[in-house]
Amino acid sequence: MQQLQNLIAGFNVSSCEPYKQCWIKAKLTTQDDLISLATALKANGLTSLITVSPTDFPDDNRLELNYFFEDLLTRRNAWIKVDIPRELDACQIPSLTPLFPSVNWHEREAFSTFGVRFIGHPALEDIFISEDFIGKFPFRKGFDWQAHEANLIENMACIVRGFEREHAINDARMGKGSHTTLNWGPTHPASGPLRLRVEVNGEDIISVKPDVGYVWRGLEHLVEGKDFVGALVAIERICFMDNTNAMICYAQAVEEIAGKPITPFASMMRVMLGEIGRVVSHLMGIGGFFNTMGLVTLQMWALDVREYFLDVLEDYSGARIATASIEPGGVRYPLKLALLVTLEAAIAKYEATRSEFYAIFINNPTMQSRATVVGIITPEMVLNNGLCGVVARASGVKTDIRLDEPYAAYDKINMTYMLAEQGSAKNRFEVLFKEVDQSMDILKQAIADLRRGIESGEYRPEKDAMVRIPKKLPDGEAVSRVEWSRGELMMHLVTRKSDETPYRLKIKAPSVNHTMMLETLLAGKTLSDIPLVFGSLYICQGDLDR
Amino acid sequence: MLLHIIQKMFRVVRALRQPRLATQDVRHHAVHLSANYRGQHTVDHEVCTGCDICADICPVNAITMLKLPFKRRNTVPEVNLATCIYCGLCEDVCPTKPEKAIKLSGGRFDILTGGSHADQESFWLRANIPQSYIDSRLAEEEAARVKKEMEAKKKEALAAEEARLAAEAEHAQPVASGAEGEKS
Repeated sequence: MQQLQNLIAGFNVSSCEPYKQCWIKAKLTTQDDLISLATALKANGLTSLITVSPTDFPDDNRLELNYFFEDLLTRRNAWIKVDIPRELDACQIPSLTPLFPSVNWHEREAFSTFGVRFIGHPALEDIFISEDFIGKFPFRKGFDWQAHEANLIENMACIVRGFEREHAINDARMGKGSHTTLNWGPTHPASGPLRLRVEVNGEDIISVKPDVGYVWRGLEHLVEGKDFVGALVAIERICFMDNTNAMICYAQAVEEIAGKPITPFASMMRVMLGEIGRVVSHLMGIGGFFNTMGLVTLQMWALDVREYFLDVLEDYSGARIATASIEPGGVRYPLKLALLVTLEAAIAKYEATRSEFYAIFINNPTMQSRATVVGIITPEMVLNNGLCGVVARASGVKTDIRLDEPYAAYDKINMTYMLAEQGSAKNRFEVLFKEVDQSMDILKQAIADLRRGIESGEYRPEKDAMVRIPKKLPDGEAVSRVEWSRGELMMHLVTRKSDETPYRLKIKAPSVNHTMMLETLLAGKTLSDIPLVFGSLYICQGDLDR
Repeated sequence: MLLHIIQKMFRVVRALRQPRLATQDVRHHAVHLSANYRGQHTVDHEVCTGCDICADICPVNAITMLKLPFKRRNTVPEVNLATCIYCGLCEDVCPTKPEKAIKLSGGRFDILTGGSHADQESFWLRANIPQSYIDSRLAEEEAARVKKEMEAKKKEALAAEEARLAAEAEHAQPVASGAEGEKS
């Protein structure tokens, strides 16, 4: 770490200090140094540039860009800030995409929403936002949303015209041999709201260009209109599959700025709820993988087990999917001991079904031979493309935020990295399954700890659930990371003194980088590989588009 | 051909005589129902203080406050059930004790609306306050107002009495001070 700090301090920086246990936070005085600093960081092993997050300060007439560099292997990360002018003409900075392919779509996103022009980007096109927002840069402060919404009909017509334009181009290409453009999605049974423009020659794929943004809700902007507690309902809607861990991430950022640590009881509750969220999500992902291969039985079985875990969430919070159960300051409701019994019943249900899952699906010879040869991701691809979570671990890269930068009460939990070697679609599916087993183990540890703590009087389940967080936070910013079910979820929260709402929240979600990989993985393969590779990457459009 | 048709008819008649499997209206039975299930709200207008906090925190602005013809505690929440996302923050912030004036937990899960457009438009939890309550509150306020007026009158009379006494005292003052002056 010291070496990394010295390295960064060697450039024109106005500040350079350690932040939390594995970050160096620095601010560049000029954007001229950005490329040389990034090159030096990459040479030092920080090969993943996971996102770039602009923050708009109209009062100072500047945009602040935050770059987050990560080294997945040695857990050394760098958070580099640099100011650029706010005027649209001057709002530009050298692109880092040629150096770090992982930041490609993130730079495009910053361009679409803030109007930052990245000089040297290979294809700086709009992404995520719908046609009617192009050129308007909606996340800048002072964008008039109400005036925009007033032209609802025209906006929709604008979106339709965009599709018609593309349709005309595809039509013109038709009829020239077997070369054509195929739309995979957005209504394909396996695609979810996402469309792959697949250029095919007969059955062979020439290129894949994902069209994303079908469920873009502008969540990062929505939270700016809500107070710190009300923002929860926007954040938990990143993805319905795993909703608790996203709230943990946000709550941690708020608590850090407020300077209020939560109680040990609430931390352990967060472990429990977070793991329930992970199990619920994984059980759906497992089913989705086989679904894309045309076998829906596993989905039905997995959803059946999932219901038992949803019962636990309902008993705790009163809702099954959108639980809103974790607030800044702790967990929202006190714990009743009967809940632990329900949870144990759910675990027992899973364990009773587990052997059947293994016998019929995981050791399934057809799946084994089909899925071992497609969608192979090497460890180098993981490091260079900012992949994370199950996808990274299936390629043998040891990354898991629960172990790398333990949050909540994960430091009390006994666990290891769940790894596989080859990085094929089959490996990803296996790691997914192993992680469900691991989560069951963590849940048992959490239950035992909660029981012990309550019996010995260390935890007070009624009083310890929440710590009071003030309505207004001081000036500050925080970066918070959690291991979400799909991978690393990072939030960058900026607050302003005497504001009752977040000033800026950037959500870095794992599916963006995973979707970016589709093009590399599918080029040169055949059409029948698309569902399998897509299904194994465990993509959720909710967190892809936000 | 004819045999075929007769066979089919026979099958249909037999099927019609079979007992229907779906004999239970599952809209009103939950497989799993928690005691704290966040369902349809109940608003207790007698407990509600009309403080507006629930409408303030609502992240989707589903709550509007209905104005009541009173001087104090004169608003009560109404919820647009179609907009509401059932997050329960309104219940969390409600300051009344021990019973919350607005409650979702333990509420109905079978929130059903009719199929017509008009049904959708009027899919609201209205305050629905009985006239007797309004009358009693108005009477209460009237009584309070009368009482206050009486008190004010009494006070006025008292003040007038005091003023009169003070004036009398002032009248007597020079003598007293004169006497004092002599003493010193």
